[in-house]
Amino acid sequence: MKRFLRQAAVIARRDFLATVLTPAFLMFLLAPLFMLVFATVGGMGARSIADSGDDAQRMVAIADADYAARIEAADTRLRPLFPAQIGPPALELRSSQADQDVQARALFEDESIDVSAVLYDPPESPRILYSPEAASSADYLAVLAEQAARAARLDSEPLVTTQREAIERTGSTIGGRQATGFTALFVLFLLTLLLAGQTVSMLAEEKGNKVIEILAAAVPLEAVFVGKLFGLFGVALLFVGFWGGLAGGGVALLPPNDAAFSTLDPAIGFGPFILLAIVYFAMGYLLLGAVFLGVGAQASSMREIQMLSLPITFFQMAMFGLASAAAASPGSTLASIAELFPFSSPFAMAAKGASDPRLWPHLAAIAWQILWVSITVAIAARAFRKGVLKSGPSVLERIGSAFRFGRAAD
Amino acid sequence: MVGILTTPPLKPVTMASAPALSATGLVKNFGDKRAVDGVDIFVPTGSIYGVLGPNGAGKTTTLRMLLGIIDPDSGTRELLGSNRPRSVGDNVGYLPEERGLYPGMKAKDAIAFMGALRGLDWKTGRARGEELLEQNGLGDAASDKIRKLSKGMAQLVQLLGSIVHRPDLIVLDEPFSGLDPVNQGRLEELILAERERGATVLFSTHVMAHAERMCDRLAIIVGGKRRYEGSVDEARAMLPMQAHYAPREDGEAVAALLPRDAVRDEDGYRFDVPDGGMEALLAKLLDRGHGIAALSLERPSLHDVFVSVVGEDAVARMEAGAEDEE
Repeated sequence: MKRFLRQAAVIARRDFLATVLTPAFLMFLLAPLFMLVFATVGGMGARSIADSGDDAQRMVAIADADYAARIEAADTRLRPLFPAQIGPPALELRSSQADQDVQARALFEDESIDVSAVLYDPPESPRILYSPEAASSADYLAVLAEQAARAARLDSEPLVTTQREAIERTGSTIGGRQATGFTALFVLFLLTLLLAGQTVSMLAEEKGNKVIEILAAAVPLEAVFVGKLFGLFGVALLFVGFWGGLAGGGVALLPPNDAAFSTLDPAIGFGPFILLAIVYFAMGYLLLGAVFLGVGAQASSMREIQMLSLPITFFQMAMFGLASAAAASPGSTLASIAELFPFSSPFAMAAKGASDPRLWPHLAAIAWQILWVSITVAIAARAFRKGVLKSGPSVLERIGSAFRFGRAAD
Repeated sequence: MVGILTTPPLKPVTMASAPALSATGLVKNFGDKRAVDGVDIFVPTGSIYGVLGPNGAGKTTTLRMLLGIIDPDSGTRELLGSNRPRSVGDNVGYLPEERGLYPGMKAKDAIAFMGALRGLDWKTGRARGEELLEQNGLGDAASDKIRKLSKGMAQLVQLLGSIVHRPDLIVLDEPFSGLDPVNQGRLEELILAERERGATVLFSTHVMAHAERMCDRLAIIVGGKRRYEGSVDEARAMLPMQAHYAPREDGEAVAALLPRDAVRDEDGYRFDVPDGGMEALLAKLLDRGHGIAALSLERPSLHDVFVSVVGEDAVARMEAGAEDEE
């Protein structure tokens, strides 16, 4: 075992250094930064376009001075109830002309103003015109009219004065725990999607430059596979450590907000949850990476490897979907399946840490996942030996032979 | 700086030596094709052993089975006393037929990497790598990346990588292929030096001259079967001595006196020395007054033996292939 680990470490060291000590790695490391920059620029552009559209929209109330004052007062009271981004369009007050109906309808033809809804006619029998896509503006104007009418009847005096007191919640919520679980699951999925998929082309270099013969002669193929997995895992850890460190530093710089974190408190505790997330990231990476490495090792050209990337992405999406379903319904049969199925287990178990305080299921799951990493690597190495090194018939050849034998027997 | 290695005298190797490597009845099929068909090999410890054969004869497949890279379909093998070849991998050095190095690695790192795969620590590997490169005229290239080296230099680096951990058994698959004469000479010296160190060397080749000069024993493989196994001398003894005779007085009568297999060449005749020796034939030729302008007796070369075993067509194809390679 010691010799095996030493051999795997030699391969891992070579792969790690060969990856990290290149200019391309800097691009890889900073790729999320480019993504953030592009997303920010794109988002700002989109926001700007949306805002300019929103800013141009108006609700109009046609009213005499007294009625307009009550509507404005109601708007001043109600508007703060809406979050800034989804508040109703700005309210514009206009004095009434001879025929309010004609005046109101004319506003929808006016190109100098983007009217979503118009309130007019006397306060006792108000009417609202609105464009079909702005029904919410009509609803809001109706509420303003109602509030203005009540204010007129009660002479603007509030019915009650309410005493308010803010209470900070100290315990986690069910929704918060589920959100924590899903966040962990999503982050792990995203990281494995970005990083584990790279293993598919890892043996292409050795097959291309014929080094595979040297490796296969010197060390067991299982050690080659394990070494390659851990070599790239080291790269992945560097990547995650770099961005995790930056994110952690960013969070530390924010003003303390215990209330925000208390609702997200995972059932197993924050420290163990982070530790488990790291372990499950490792297991998820190694499990999926081993599958992709094994599949990619069978490919004989870069074109074949590129063709494999689609089914590989589908496989990852399927595991994400299964684990997401498990996170949405903890304790269900589906959740148990996702926790037991080796390739979705790391994601589902990470989510479970948010809602289940017990530690032993995680220890059992980690042991189970390590077993499956070993099984997957062994199968991948065996398939490589049979399929690529031609040491004995491959699985496909065995099936073909059996088929031919069957036909011959006929 | 070019290092000079003296060629050590060949040490006598006998079959009584414990085998560094042995195999019995190795068989390997690839689909419907039988690549190796019941090959037996016995490589005495401390010997230089050659595996000869035309292209596609099954040499590489045999070597790969012996090393445990692939498993035979049937047959047994024992490497350095173990029937699990991979378990003694740290004591084996291997130069595959298809050369391969990471192009981004420095020459000394490539050597150290190959040593590390076989259990040598990196620091020692690098130090020995630099030393070996210096000894073999590549000292200036120690820190050059492999992609900057010529094909022959890269091949030499790979060879040095296969011996850096000072293995007990060195297996070289077509090691002379692709090397210029200078580097071929260096490689011969290197192989002899390794044998002198105590290593057993097994190499495959289709160039008879190397095998003839270096091998203590050899096997000839044709069509996946072993056709010959023994020493070079024993191989050469398989064919009768060759005589070259030029008469003073030539004529049709001379040909009638010579053995039936005599072939006319530029200035005389070439034929196998008769079983009874040359004395009676020479006496007859002298009696008839044909005289002797020139007479030489030559032992057959390994190439002759190879041709007789493999067949002239296969040799012609092989030599044409070798020319294309150059």
